[in-house]
Amino acid sequence: MLSEAAPPTVKLFFREAITRALREEMRRDARVILLGQDVGSYGGSYKEFVGLYQEFGPTRVRNTPVAEAAMIGLGVGAAAAGMRPLVSITYMDFLMLGLDPLVNYAAKARYKTGGQILAPVVVKTTAGAKGQGVAHSQCIEAWLMGVPGLKVVAPSTPADAYGMLKSALRESGPVVFIDHKRLFPTAGEVPVSEETVSIGKAIIRRRGRHVTIVTHSYMTRVAQEAADLVAAEGIACEIVDLRTLAPLDMATICDSLARTGALVTLEEGQLACGVGAEVAFRARERLGTLRVTRIGPLEAPVSSNPVLERACLPDAERVAHSIRRTLAA
Amino acid sequence: MVSILKEEIGGIELLRSMLLIRTFEEALLRQRDHGFQLLSSGEEAVAVGVCAALAPDDQLLVGGRSIGPALARGLDPGFVMAELLGKSAGPCRGKGGRGHLAQLSAGFFGAHAVVGGNIAIAAGVALAAQLQGRSALVACVFGDGACGSGVLHETLNLSALWKLPLVFICDNNQFAASTPRSEALAPLQLSDLARPFGIVGMTVDGMDVIAVRDAALAFANRARSGYGPSFLECVSHRFASHSTSTRETRGTDELAEIRKLCPIRRLAERLQSSGALSAAALGSLQSEVDEIVTQAVRFAAAAPYPDKSEALIDVV
Repeated sequence: MLSEAAPPTVKLFFREAITRALREEMRRDARVILLGQDVGSYGGSYKEFVGLYQEFGPTRVRNTPVAEAAMIGLGVGAAAAGMRPLVSITYMDFLMLGLDPLVNYAAKARYKTGGQILAPVVVKTTAGAKGQGVAHSQCIEAWLMGVPGLKVVAPSTPADAYGMLKSALRESGPVVFIDHKRLFPTAGEVPVSEETVSIGKAIIRRRGRHVTIVTHSYMTRVAQEAADLVAAEGIACEIVDLRTLAPLDMATICDSLARTGALVTLEEGQLACGVGAEVAFRARERLGTLRVTRIGPLEAPVSSNPVLERACLPDAERVAHSIRRTLAA
Repeated sequence: MVSILKEEIGGIELLRSMLLIRTFEEALLRQRDHGFQLLSSGEEAVAVGVCAALAPDDQLLVGGRSIGPALARGLDPGFVMAELLGKSAGPCRGKGGRGHLAQLSAGFFGAHAVVGGNIAIAAGVALAAQLQGRSALVACVFGDGACGSGVLHETLNLSALWKLPLVFICDNNQFAASTPRSEALAPLQLSDLARPFGIVGMTVDGMDVIAVRDAALAFANRARSGYGPSFLECVSHRFASHSTSTRETRGTDELAEIRKLCPIRRLAERLQSSGALSAAALGSLQSEVDEIVTQAVRFAAAAPYPDKSEALIDVV
């Protein structure tokens, strides 16, 4: 195989990667519009839409009232009628208010009309805890994984946020794009040239032969810290960043597990019927016996109190502890 | 001497369309495996009056009571019957059924059986039409049952703000399943719901197809001229219980009184008294409709059910 020079990259913050993806897609496709609270001249709650209103104007970048059911419903309806809307739901907790048009209409539109209606809407929302309390911190992505017709992505790097948002805006059906409060201030290398990242493909972030950590979004960074901690003890972790939660890339997961034989799942959302439960069960169905540990938050709401928030969420120490226990079993 | 009133022009077509719905539903109920259906009988004037105001490029969205609106919009009765009976010859390949019947090419964006769930979708379709620079409008029919839902109020607000080419049509048959409208909704008139948003509203007799058509035409013209949304409440009566599997809550006497308000008989009598329709012409109109329905049933009966493999087609 020919070795190729790595393509040139530029360092971008996560939020800048989102802006760039949207700007490029809005330039190439007049059907792409942006709906949401504070998306106009304010530029988005995390500045992830800065400059779009100035470039594309109020017709394509539309502030909305706080009305998630109508915002998502309008987005879905416009998608069904030939547009490609991105609806921004500031926090994932509020997605609950707009689930009906997403789950009952968008995800089923193609099926229920025998292929007459496609609903290529992207619902972008921000998950995760960062001091904002019980109803502004949740990670409910697992709720969405059991909806046929719905794709769910949760990138952890600026490059993936850029490439996957571009892919999401070119899909033929609805996609939920989940970012994370603690990822916005992170930076990473993003290709200079226009590129997409395929939906449905996990990626191995770190190679190791003793245990596979399967995770996504911000927890990928926690997994890296934990892997650094146990590396000093001679434990080599492999980290699979799912990137896409629906559909799950079981091939990449099982390929890694076939080499390590031990699975640790790590997520910020609740463990009951969670991402880890699904990954572990599917992996066992394919591979048979497997050492498995799931790591998630406490079975409790996430408080805005910093002591309680820290107590609730998985951190590198807890993950490292679980890795050691899994391998000792 | 024949002296047709101006508003009766097109009356025969309206009558034919209402007769078709009634006759079609009677035939549907005779099918052994007709499944779970919500009937439009009694409410034909709302569906037919509204559709008479729509142009081919317009789109109609409705709730789960879709049979009347679909036929009034001009969908082929054979295809509709096939869809209702789960046959793959239906426009949704038998997957949508009555609750999700749709045929885009006929201007019928279709049914969505979540109460109130079609309202914001309809506004989105109207937003797309506006952004695409088309003069088409969107009509959205929902029941009084949807008028308590938050999404109606959210959508009224946004559609007023953005001047969407959308006509909200409340087919107020005065019951949400078994719950009377009087127990569920505070406003005196449901069209009052639109007024705080600066949306023009009107309440008409939903058993009078000409009143419905004329109001719908006025509101459709407003939307087409860029004046934005409007809200038409049509007070109607359903002749059957909520669905084919729901208990009837009204007594025999009450139902007999309601049936006296039949919109078909009302229009027929009006056209006959003005001389626009003879008894013989009414008879041949009924025969014509009977034949259409017979053909529709025959077509649907002969059409195959989908293959099991169809369960995984058009999912993603």
